Amino acid sequence: MRILSGFLPATGGDVNIGGRDVSKQSLEIRRHIGYLPESCPLYPEMRVSEYLGYRARLKGLPRGRRKERIRTVLEMCGLLDVRRRVIGHLSKGYRQRVGLADALVHDPELLILDEPTIGLDPNQIREIRNLIRDLSGKHTILLSTHILPEVEAICERVLILDKGKIVASDTPENLAGIVSGSIRVVAEIKGLQSEIINTVKALPGVNNVSDRLEGAWVKLEVSGKLGTDLRQNIFQTVVENKWTLRELRTISTTLEDVFGALTSGDNRSRG
Amino acid sequence: MFVQLTLWRREMAAYFLSPIAYVSSIFFLLITGFNFYLVVGLFYSKEYTIPDVMEQLLSSPLFFWPTFLLIVPVLTMRTFAEEKHSGTIETLMTAPVTERAVVLSKFMAALAMFLCLWLPTSAYPFLLEVFSEEVAPLDIWPVASGYLGVLLLGMFYLSVGVLCSALTGSQVVAAIATYAMMGILFFGGLVHTYVAADLIREISLYISSFEHQQKFVRGIVDSRPIVFYASGTVLVLFATIRLLEGRRG
Repeated sequence: MRILSGFLPATGGDVNIGGRDVSKQSLEIRRHIGYLPESCPLYPEMRVSEYLGYRARLKGLPRGRRKERIRTVLEMCGLLDVRRRVIGHLSKGYRQRVGLADALVHDPELLILDEPTIGLDPNQIREIRNLIRDLSGKHTILLSTHILPEVEAICERVLILDKGKIVASDTPENLAGIVSGSIRVVAEIKGLQSEIINTVKALPGVNNVSDRLEGAWVKLEVSGKLGTDLRQNIFQTVVENKWTLRELRTISTTLEDVFGALTSGDNRSRG
Repeated sequence: MFVQLTLWRREMAAYFLSPIAYVSSIFFLLITGFNFYLVVGLFYSKEYTIPDVMEQLLSSPLFFWPTFLLIVPVLTMRTFAEEKHSGTIETLMTAPVTERAVVLSKFMAALAMFLCLWLPTSAYPFLLEVFSEEVAPLDIWPVASGYLGVLLLGMFYLSVGVLCSALTGSQVVAAIATYAMMGILFFGGLVHTYVAADLIREISLYISSFEHQQKFVRGIVDSRPIVFYASGTVLVLFATIRLLEGRRG
């Protein structure tokens, strides 16, 4: 992230943003990106509007547009109420928003956000995510994060890096499909264990069944071919055999599974 | 140029939004005021001329140098070290600004603060003229050249302080490094009194801030020290800029 934003030189390879080389046209590129570093560093002794005014001037925003832009980003980031407050007295969530407002103030084409929700409480995280989603219409946003549900919630395209190499690049949905190649269903049924297993195994589309006893209940994990809905068949079987059913759900492959499969050095599951 | 002004204003604001400006100016004025009192009241209890007093205040090893050397790192230690420590250097350097603009604006702000501190002391000769019984009219030029010396010394030593601050992420380390560098420069300029070897004597005399300032305060404006301090300042600031650029690659 620091290399992309022109803060550090690359140890190898080169970085190209919008057709320009970052190391050679650093100044020009820095005009077009808004960067929010991971730690969100700010000057604690300045007031919010003062800070944004300084940053806007620094980024070369012409005098006429400055006031209006600052007003816009204050509004976008929900900072209007605290614009007269000293940054050092603000909560972590507000500071993060000030950082984001700073990254946005010159209306950049590319926004680079390094772990924007780290250290925030769940409400603040939701607000920041909503804000990012709103922004994605107008700006290209590059977001780095270790929080995978966050990626599922807001990203349209995912790059997974392992030891500096890109191991996957696709939409979150496609990535999930690549890794699992099957759908999985969990069912909890009361009845004779061996009978249940044999019957379920015989159902069309079922590849594999694993089971565990939980008291009187048999917990099954059934995996089947992609594109079939096993739940209907399982339910009908249960009814026909007069068993009792207390849970029936599909397990969706999360990015966490994808991430684990792609970065653990385990190539077996890669489609 | 516009960006540089913006950066400079932010640096000045940083001095005045933190206690540094107030604490340092209070103590600075206390010390220089007390020195003034000592020089006038005790040192020259009977007869003195205004240039005599100003010579003491602007060049003596007792009344000038400790104050001068003490104040430099106070003004420069935070310039880069604070930004590195708090991480704001990252947002600063990823904004469309050149290293040169950043270094120059920080240096100019430190210099401006430095001059603000010395400014009130320029009232002393006029105070003396109004309130003392000394008959000779005030000769303004030795006083002016004395302050020219202070400006040149300030430029050079402050640039050293800025360089030291850019080398580290800790203000304390920056201050200590600045003291060490200034110590080498200042005492290197005193070596000539103890060493007979011609070359060392020559060099020591050439870099001797102590000797330079003594000449300036007597109204002797020599071009050599002017060139020395101006080029020294440019060189040190250039090194600071290269240091920052080197990190960017």
